[in-house]
Amino acid sequence: MPVIELSYSRLQKLIGKVSKKQISDSLPFLGLDIESEDKDLVRVEYSPNRPDYSTDFGIALGLQGLLGIKTGPIKLNVKKSNKYPISVKSNVSRIRPFVTGIIAKNGKIDDKTIKQLMTMQEDLHFGIGRKRKKSSIGIHDLDKISFPLVYTTTNKNHKFIPLNSEKELDISEILDTTDVGKDYGSLLGQSSQVPIILDEEQNTVSFPPIINAAVTTVTTKTKNLFVEVTGLNKDDAEDMLSVVATVLQSAGFTLESVKITGAKNSAPKLEYRKMTVNPSLINQILGLNLSSTKIISSLKKSRLDASSKGTNIICTIPAYRFDIFGPMDLVEEVALGYGIQNLEPTISPSQTIGKTNPVSLKLKSLDQTMIGLGYLEALNSSLTSKRVLYDMTNRDSTKLLSVLDSKSREHTILRDSILPGLLENLSRNIHESYPQKMFETGTVFATKNPISEKISFSGISAHKDANFTEIKSIIQTTLNIGFGIKVETKTSTDSTFEEGHCASITLDNMPIGIVGKIDSKIIENYKIRVPVVGFEISLSDSILKN
Amino acid sequence: MSQVFHDIEKKIITSLRDNPKQSPESLEKSTQLSPDQIRRGIEWLKLKDLAIVFESKSSVISLGKNGIESFEKGLPERRLLNLLKDGSKKLSVLQKELGFVFGPSMGLSRKNNWVDFSSDEISIKNPPSELPGEKTLKLIGNEKLSKDRIDSADLSGLLRRPDFIIEDIIKTKEISLSDAAKSIKISDSVGGIDVEAKVPEVFVARTHPLKDTIDEIREIFVTLGFSEILGNMTQSSFWNFDALFTPQDHPARELQDTFYLDRINAKKIGTPEQIRKVSESHKKNWRYQWDINEARKMVLRTHTTCVTIKHLAENKPNEARIFSLGRVFRNEKVSYKHLVEFNQIEGVVVGKDASLKNLMGIQREFYKRIGITKIKFWPTFFPYTEPSLQTMVYNEKLGKWIELFGMGIFRPEVTKPLGITQPVLAWGGGIERIAMLKYDLADVREFYNNNLGWLRSAKKCQ
Repeated sequence: MPVIELSYSRLQKLIGKVSKKQISDSLPFLGLDIESEDKDLVRVEYSPNRPDYSTDFGIALGLQGLLGIKTGPIKLNVKKSNKYPISVKSNVSRIRPFVTGIIAKNGKIDDKTIKQLMTMQEDLHFGIGRKRKKSSIGIHDLDKISFPLVYTTTNKNHKFIPLNSEKELDISEILDTTDVGKDYGSLLGQSSQVPIILDEEQNTVSFPPIINAAVTTVTTKTKNLFVEVTGLNKDDAEDMLSVVATVLQSAGFTLESVKITGAKNSAPKLEYRKMTVNPSLINQILGLNLSSTKIISSLKKSRLDASSKGTNIICTIPAYRFDIFGPMDLVEEVALGYGIQNLEPTISPSQTIGKTNPVSLKLKSLDQTMIGLGYLEALNSSLTSKRVLYDMTNRDSTKLLSVLDSKSREHTILRDSILPGLLENLSRNIHESYPQKMFETGTVFATKNPISEKISFSGISAHKDANFTEIKSIIQTTLNIGFGIKVETKTSTDSTFEEGHCASITLDNMPIGIVGKIDSKIIENYKIRVPVVGFEISLSDSILKN
Repeated sequence: MSQVFHDIEKKIITSLRDNPKQSPESLEKSTQLSPDQIRRGIEWLKLKDLAIVFESKSSVISLGKNGIESFEKGLPERRLLNLLKDGSKKLSVLQKELGFVFGPSMGLSRKNNWVDFSSDEISIKNPPSELPGEKTLKLIGNEKLSKDRIDSADLSGLLRRPDFIIEDIIKTKEISLSDAAKSIKISDSVGGIDVEAKVPEVFVARTHPLKDTIDEIREIFVTLGFSEILGNMTQSSFWNFDALFTPQDHPARELQDTFYLDRINAKKIGTPEQIRKVSESHKKNWRYQWDINEARKMVLRTHTTCVTIKHLAENKPNEARIFSLGRVFRNEKVSYKHLVEFNQIEGVVVGKDASLKNLMGIQREFYKRIGITKIKFWPTFFPYTEPSLQTMVYNEKLGKWIELFGMGIFRPEVTKPLGITQPVLAWGGGIERIAMLKYDLADVREFYNNNLGWLRSAKKCQ
């Protein structure tokens, strides 16, 4: 989840009359987890479904509501204007079909505001923009741009000075040599054409979704802003714009509209939605008995608007709250406005009788039997490595089941057997006193439609007198006491076991496992200095469920 | 109260009570025990703080080859004087009688004025009755004597002569009883053993500590009326993500967070109706082209929620309390607080009266039963529940609030497409975290190291 750094003193200025303690006490009830605090600074984690919390401006709006300082919805005041036209050429439709935008004037921009806007942009790109694929933003100094603009395509020889560069680069150079070019170039596909926003004088404003032109860089001297959002889908682009517009208005800017025409594009709506919710749903889900008045005031504390209509409540939702899908989301908004701390947990009598799964019960009784025989229970990961599963034990690795792109080299292959893990455990305990006896039950995996999962049971005994007789006795007793089955052993060979000391375990003449003395080469591989005997048995459904 | 002693110990104590300071050799004589028995007995008594062993070093003097000869025949100068007792003798006679000791005996006697030497005749003059060294020689004789019993002035002359005196440094032990041993009562019982003696360590065979925690949690939910269901660890993306309203381009579905099985896809992922309705819900709400091939990709489950949702979709109960418990996987770097594979419990309550306050109540009851009473609830976000909460519990040892189970009510976008009509309360969380608090572990990897040192010593009841 994304993390943002806030300053208490800045928040106090934005919110109004509020103490530092009130803020820190309220942050968690807005869904913001405090990660760390250092005097005036606090780092909070916010949920990706609330991109408006990617700046302190957005968080201040939420806290105003929760603390009852300012409630109700944030109304966007967008002055209609014809001064800022953008025309869209149809050639963008195959690459990045939609553009939208807004003008923000007469704001004060200090270093801290620039930092907040940059984090917001990054978080929006990563989250709802899906790493700029769905939508991406450019924020520009309006006074460096001469309208009208055109959103069109260009070829890769097109040149301009990109952000953070001193010299002109062509598109190919930007894609091949800059970090952003390398990271996001693949979003543009194989086409020889790329999207570009040009101004009246054919100066490049932006090369979406990669980089802005250096000339429009926002600094502390900037007064007026132009924000453009491009994307694959008109609604996604406008969602992102609505967050930026709300934040900029809260930061003290006056908003003016841009006029967008051409290739199925049009000016953004940034409008309220209405949604009906029944108070009985709210009360049922929360377990409360709230009046409509209380529900409405709670929704207003969550910075929404609401009014009664008959038995229903009509809720008005600002454009930037696109995380609200349906009435159930409004239930949560009521809960937050009402205050989670005000919900008293209750326990309702259960109408059901609980039951442990029969397989869990069987395995538990098997555990008890093995403990009675002096075996200690081990637990190993089912996602392990080729080294443990195959290389160290000379087992056949042709059917191995691997996962993609594991971050840990020790965890790349799903186990098809438990015994190798136990041998590995012995090797890490050679300095501990003997005898060492361990067992484990757990899931093993095999490729079959598409994957079969079976419960396997393995045990191991290591000490100076360990021998086949001992381990065969253990198996026979365990399976007889634990499951009431009688097994036999038939001479066999297996790469893990020593020849002449290895048998398959059979039940009604069907093999269900293997037992024997571990091959001396494997013991040597693991630097174990005593003989080791072990077994592994597949606990089929018929054994576990009889 | 009297204490039981081994026979050897009894004999040594008794002997030392008669004769309080003894060497091991003297104890051998007084107890009639072998040197080895004495050695062991002293060792046992020392461990029990009943015997005190005082070790010291001392010099022991004995005679060398020439010393013994002088002891038997007299010092060379005495032999010379003896020959002169009956009158003076010629030099050549004396040389013949005394052989090669003539020279040194003559030199010494003349220097001390014991003889007169004129022309060829040697005669006795004025010797003392006892010559220097004679007393010491006689005292030592064939014995070994402690150096401090010998007159050092008399000895010094002998020490200068070759092969006369052998000096050995030896360690001596002196055994005595401690104050406690002096008054201890020795039991007369025959065949009794020392019940206070140290014994060898034995190791318990036991279930794994983490398994104990898992079993405890399972039992709590069973007593709260929940039934356990099992499910596969490998799941299609459909049940792990799509059915839980997680869009196909959601960051959690990327390779860097989720383990995908290499080139393995599920053929059958759900009923045609389930697939159609889930895909419609995605298209409508998340606005993208839902791809069935993406849903077929097999993953290692990232939560046990996929097991419960599948169960609900198949059984559509109107009233139920079920839970699922098992391993889940995250593609993370392993560290002291993160594992790629850990255990999770996940439970649901289905019913028309299920409410958020009930869900909080079940959580509070669960925490109470594992001994946690200081809890609070904070809002949070999960893609498949609305409203969503997380529990914060106060850990006294760490002195801070820790995040434990997450919970919420399944979104209608999850339940409706699968034909589930009643509200479903769901919660879940990692078990290792609880076990870490219980066993006071700072490193979660310890649970899977199977380090016998820890497994054999971890306390059962914590």
